[in-house]
Amino acid sequence: MSDQTMTIHLKIWRQKDKNSPGKLVDYTVDDANPDMSFLELLDWLNERLMNEGREPVEFDHDCREGICGSCNLVLNGMAHGPMQGTAVCQLHMRKYKDGDTIVVEPWRARAFPHIKDLVVDRSALDRIMAAGGYISVNTGAPADANAIPINKYDADLAFDYAACIGCGACVAACPNSSASLFTGAKIAQLAHLPQGHPERKKRVVSMVDKMADEGFGDCSNYAECEAVCPAEISITSIAEMRREYFKALSEIE
Amino acid sequence: MSKAATFLNSQVGRKIATGVTGFGLVLFIIVHLLGNLAYFAGAEAINTYSHTLHQLGPLLWIVRLGLLLFFVYHAWLGISIWLERRKARPDKYEMYASRGGASRQSWSSSSMILTGILLLLFVITHLNTFAFHDFEKAIHGGVEMHDVHARLSEVFAQPIYTIYYVVIMVLLGMHLRHGVWSAFQSLGWMSSKTNPIIYSIAFVLALIIAAGFIGLPLSIYFELV
Ligand code: HEM
Ligand code: SF4
Ligand code: FES
Repeated sequence: MSDQTMTIHLKIWRQKDKNSPGKLVDYTVDDANPDMSFLELLDWLNERLMNEGREPVEFDHDCREGICGSCNLVLNGMAHGPMQGTAVCQLHMRKYKDGDTIVVEPWRARAFPHIKDLVVDRSALDRIMAAGGYISVNTGAPADANAIPINKYDADLAFDYAACIGCGACVAACPNSSASLFTGAKIAQLAHLPQGHPERKKRVVSMVDKMADEGFGDCSNYAECEAVCPAEISITSIAEMRREYFKALSEIE
Repeated sequence: MSKAATFLNSQVGRKIATGVTGFGLVLFIIVHLLGNLAYFAGAEAINTYSHTLHQLGPLLWIVRLGLLLFFVYHAWLGISIWLERRKARPDKYEMYASRGGASRQSWSSSSMILTGILLLLFVITHLNTFAFHDFEKAIHGGVEMHDVHARLSEVFAQPIYTIYYVVIMVLLGMHLRHGVWSAFQSLGWMSSKTNPIIYSIAFVLALIIAAGFIGLPLSIYFELV
């Protein structure tokens, strides 16, 4: 650990529950370490708060290594903070300067109901997945891994799209609160794999319908989603979703 | 609901429709821009051009009707996407900023609804000034026709009209700077490779269209033609 310390001013969104009004509350951490991650800074703050008998700040986290998609903080107006291709758990305080002020807010979207402080309910994304983001396989002995040939081009693209960690930053940063990048990534991934083909048409139609049902907005091609995505999913996945949808016309009722 | 209605009401269908109508309108304004060039060739050229269009009869009406449908549908889609957006985030951020990088948020993309609505209002005044106008008559080659040339010269001799058209055409250019690129993405005609190329083409096209439309009123006002 670095033996330097830095002072960080935080303005954190505090809200007791969905039905209470929330507001930004000021906190100052005057002995932050540049090697701390942003979440560790919040841990540090929470320990102080608990020692003083105050309510700690609730926030979501799990792996803290950028792979689970649990952490969801908007820092100074940017989902996951200022660093490209980085989940907020992987953001370190050395990226900030001594004396900086950071506004911390939860994801905001009608489809993500508020729970407490910085925690929101992102199960709408799970329901989009359940609408078709899978392949159906018969049970039995596992198939041989290399039984189905897949060319490198499609395999690479599918792999890029599969990198989505389901964090919802794309929705949080989108001026329209659209879930197109999240949904497009899964549709495009499976469209490039032979395993995804049998259910291809049904998948795109029901996943796209589900996005609207859950209250996500339309896409206006702002591409802000790609800019904030920790997995750097390209909006090409959204273009692919549109092509898939067009090809699935026969499945539409 | 019928298949077509389900398609057009889905989030993807709405984007495809926005893109198709947007492209249709762009195609129209390019033809319109080329038609305007006839003014530079003199009174006979532009009056005959307009006369020839009017001789098309039913075909002209089909095109006009199609154009009207595209325009109204496009405007309705744009407005409804914007209304959905307001519903989709009832609690606003205290602080919001674009990350930059891959983001296409810009003065152009963020003002689509504003530039769009102003274009809608403009088109009404524009039709009133030029389409529903009771034209003087001119005779070229023994044929009596509307004196479009005289009307254009009269209108753009006035600073108010000239400024109004220049301002609106700048807004059109702004609408198309994001719009043309966006329509490709909406129709799924995009890959990571073509993305930056199409974004640059959209800029150039928007610039050419805006500059082209600004050229005529300015040339008339400053008596360059
Ligand atoms: C001269 C007339 C017009 C032309 C050439 C034009 C062209 C375009 C194009 C090419 C697009 C991109 C389509 C896409 O993203 O799929 C677009 C989008 C848009 N247009 Fe227009 N437009 C015109 C008039 C209007 C009018 C009258 C309105 C509205 C009131 C409007 C509102 C919008 C909006 C809001 C969008 C963005 C839609 C979104 O959020 O995705 N436009 N326009
Ligand atoms: S597409 Fe990117 S931003 Fe959206 S949920 Fe997946 S990883 Fe998160
Ligand atoms: S905590 Fe798992 S990605 Fe950040």
